[in-house]
Amino acid sequence: MTATITNPLRVGLRQERVIAPQCLVIFGASGDLTHRKLVPALFELFQQRRLPSEFALLGCARRPWSDEEFRSKMAEAMGDKVRDHPEAWEQFAAGMFYEPVDLQKPEDVVKLGGRLQEIDRQRATRSNRTFYLSVSPKFYAGGCRALADAGLLKDPQRSRVVIEKPFGRDYGSAQSLNRVVQGCGQENQIFRIDHYLGKETVQNIMVMRFANAIFEPIWNRNYISSVQITASETVGVEERAGYYETSGALRDMVQNHLTQMLAITAMETPGRFDPEAIRSEKAKVLQAARLADELEPWNCCIRGQYGPGGSDGAPLSGYRQEPGVDPHSTTETYVAMKLFIDNWRWQGVPFYVRTGKRLAKRLSEVVLTFREAPVHLFDAAGGSPTANQLILRIQPDEGAEFKFEVKSPGSGMRSRPVEMEFSYDESFGEPSDEGYVRLLADAMLSDPTLFTRSDEVEAAWRLYTPLLELIEDSPWKLPIHPYESRTWGPAAADALLARDGLLWRRP
Amino acid sequence: MSPQLTLQTPLELPPSEVPNYLNQLWSRDQANSIGAHTFCLLIWQPAWVEQQLVRTGRIEGPIMGVQRDEVEEAGRKAILELDLPLSTPPLGSSVSNILAKVDGSKTSDDLRGQHIDGALSTLRPRRLITLAPSLDSSRPLETLVAAYCPLPEEGGGTVACGDVVVLRGGTEALQEGLTTLQPLLPDDLPSWVWWNGPLDESPELLEQLSISPRRLILDSALGDPSYCLNLLATRLASSQAVNDLNWLRLGSWHQTLAMVFDPPQRRDALSHVVQLDIDVEGDHPVQGLLLASWIADRLGWTLKKTHRHDAKTDDSSISAVFQRPDGTEIPLRVSPVPMGQPSIHPGQIVGLRMISKPEHGEAMCVILCAESGGCMRLEAGGMASMELVEEVVPLLHTHVEADMARLLEGGHDSSNPLLAAAAPLAAKLLS
Repeated sequence: MTATITNPLRVGLRQERVIAPQCLVIFGASGDLTHRKLVPALFELFQQRRLPSEFALLGCARRPWSDEEFRSKMAEAMGDKVRDHPEAWEQFAAGMFYEPVDLQKPEDVVKLGGRLQEIDRQRATRSNRTFYLSVSPKFYAGGCRALADAGLLKDPQRSRVVIEKPFGRDYGSAQSLNRVVQGCGQENQIFRIDHYLGKETVQNIMVMRFANAIFEPIWNRNYISSVQITASETVGVEERAGYYETSGALRDMVQNHLTQMLAITAMETPGRFDPEAIRSEKAKVLQAARLADELEPWNCCIRGQYGPGGSDGAPLSGYRQEPGVDPHSTTETYVAMKLFIDNWRWQGVPFYVRTGKRLAKRLSEVVLTFREAPVHLFDAAGGSPTANQLILRIQPDEGAEFKFEVKSPGSGMRSRPVEMEFSYDESFGEPSDEGYVRLLADAMLSDPTLFTRSDEVEAAWRLYTPLLELIEDSPWKLPIHPYESRTWGPAAADALLARDGLLWRRP
Repeated sequence: MSPQLTLQTPLELPPSEVPNYLNQLWSRDQANSIGAHTFCLLIWQPAWVEQQLVRTGRIEGPIMGVQRDEVEEAGRKAILELDLPLSTPPLGSSVSNILAKVDGSKTSDDLRGQHIDGALSTLRPRRLITLAPSLDSSRPLETLVAAYCPLPEEGGGTVACGDVVVLRGGTEALQEGLTTLQPLLPDDLPSWVWWNGPLDESPELLEQLSISPRRLILDSALGDPSYCLNLLATRLASSQAVNDLNWLRLGSWHQTLAMVFDPPQRRDALSHVVQLDIDVEGDHPVQGLLLASWIADRLGWTLKKTHRHDAKTDDSSISAVFQRPDGTEIPLRVSPVPMGQPSIHPGQIVGLRMISKPEHGEAMCVILCAESGGCMRLEAGGMASMELVEEVVPLLHTHVEADMARLLEGGHDSSNPLLAAAAPLAAKLLS
């Protein structure tokens, strides 16, 4: 982010939608996500004056903390954010409470109901509650049941449940979990979170497509020849080995984040800007998506795993050498695949999706490559004209760019590509909210637009079922290709595109 | 959302019996009586224009006190027929004052307080108390009570009920009835007072109703401009939470002007503003002054002098001079402009022009225009050499009840700091 002076006229104007009085209950309050993401996001909302005065945060976990201990642990974990704004924190922390709760013990959840009533009286939170399940996925079903059994989800207008990813491990488990949570409350009470949808730039894909008349007419198979969706990380598995060993890149990134980007990029125009209309279109496009070769998935999917790399001065260990990782692990840290969407808009257009850890650069982007001009009238500087590309930069350097050919200055008529750019930095000059700020606010506003619906989740799992089955039953057919840390992944992934005469974009 | 009626026929009770009746209604001993633990809203609901339009036979009753098209149209018609200036707001004091001189004695049912707008009922207020003054100032006090259960639109959910209390009568009788009110506003629930009438019409009553810690909602577009701004500034200076619907309606102007300066390369122009002009509808400058004061406060300007021109000379504009932090003086002019189809809210902003002249670089002229009118007046004169940024500010077509719901939904127990900073400055501009 470029350092710029704040727009003085913007200060204090960002509270577009006001959250109704309520109590946010976080289960797993002693966990990492609570102090790293959730409480900072809530404090940010408080500082933006987007939380009502009648707001309370109730942390719940098994540890026997007191309200005061919870407040001080959060303050300690948030460090400078609290030290820089002591008065604001004091006011915010006055609405923070803690209740020891074991979600597996019904008596604890009943007791929680009593504490919530007490908080309603103390903070006038109007029996309006958002329950955030920041717990191990194995407790999602039990947690929902416990809340429902205690009568805490009875009012669909005044209670909602936020569930973190991963929502299931495969199509079958996602279906089972959906059945359980839908038995506990109505679908509009369930908020399945995917923090990628909280990113301004992901939401901007919809605005670019549907608020501009110029894009939608060419956003189809007649004008677009291929689409690439990339989410690359430079970091390795870090402290998440325990979780990552059981999930891998396919479950950790592709099934949720990348698939959501794909859905938003490829969905039909919703009839109105309405949560159900948008989610229906996303579900429909995912239901029409398939692996390029479902019968022989190894032809359209590459799995990789990072090996050692770096330099002599700063060596990087390979995945199998990371603490907590099985030295013979076959968990993929990289996936590249080719998909098709069988509908009128996208028939025959390949969608290439890739994600990986320890790649050369940290970035997320969607690249739409347009068909070439049917006749080449001019010589091109690069031999042949470069195809037009629209690049939607999700992170970092958020923005968009459009590549097109112009006349190269001089007496001849040679063309060369140039870029037209939009940058969030240059246009707005201020950082956008962290994804959790937006998503927590939306959940508390009961706005499910940016949360995934049951049919979307199931469609996303079903899309990758042939791969998951293959990995389970015949892993040798989908071998792990090693790649050096801080490179762009295995050569096999390049070959996947080379077969179609294409290259991955090297940003 | 259409207004909803109470489900129970209102029961007329002597004022002294109301608190006991309601206590029994929500007694914890009574089975199935769940009172919503939300908030109480006390509304001063004179609906003078509506009452006068009914009395003079210009509309049929019943009198409901909620904003509706039929009343607005009849108000506009009255403006034409009674030779009021075209810029007169159709629901303003000028219309009720002139209608008061017209003969008529039609009567109708008075359902004020019994019609609850959907936007408000979805918030499940625990108690709505309406003070409904009648045109006949000698009318004795009547007290009506009804239980009220908003039904969830899509079914399901627990029904948390509330109640409505209506105090109806002449202003004096209402004043006497205030003793009934205190026990009706429980200490454990936030209470809001919405003064839905001119701020200067019953100052003592307003004072008595809006004691702290009750939260006050008013509309600074209603009443004498100086009075409105002074009251706003005084209340904001106290620790009371004050919300102004007129300020809320400025939202799209704030957003649009801020948007112009979002690109970092334009921000330097904010330090070099040399002129500010604001046009407002009719002769109520409060909204224009609040906008100017917000800009001045955000940009660190100090007020040097102010002058209100004499309306008799056909120029009732307000001129002022601000000083930038670097000492440069900035003239401000807030000018009334006539409108053929004025808003129902007096003094809505029509346009804004802000000229900046950076020391190095091109001068910049920002013109914002309301969707409802053109900007020709502000576009005139000497901008050919400047970078021109022109934006149209969208009109927000919301009913006042929807604006109210937006405020109540948030439940803020403090005043908006931007308003708290702008209102005292706006009051000084009129002093």
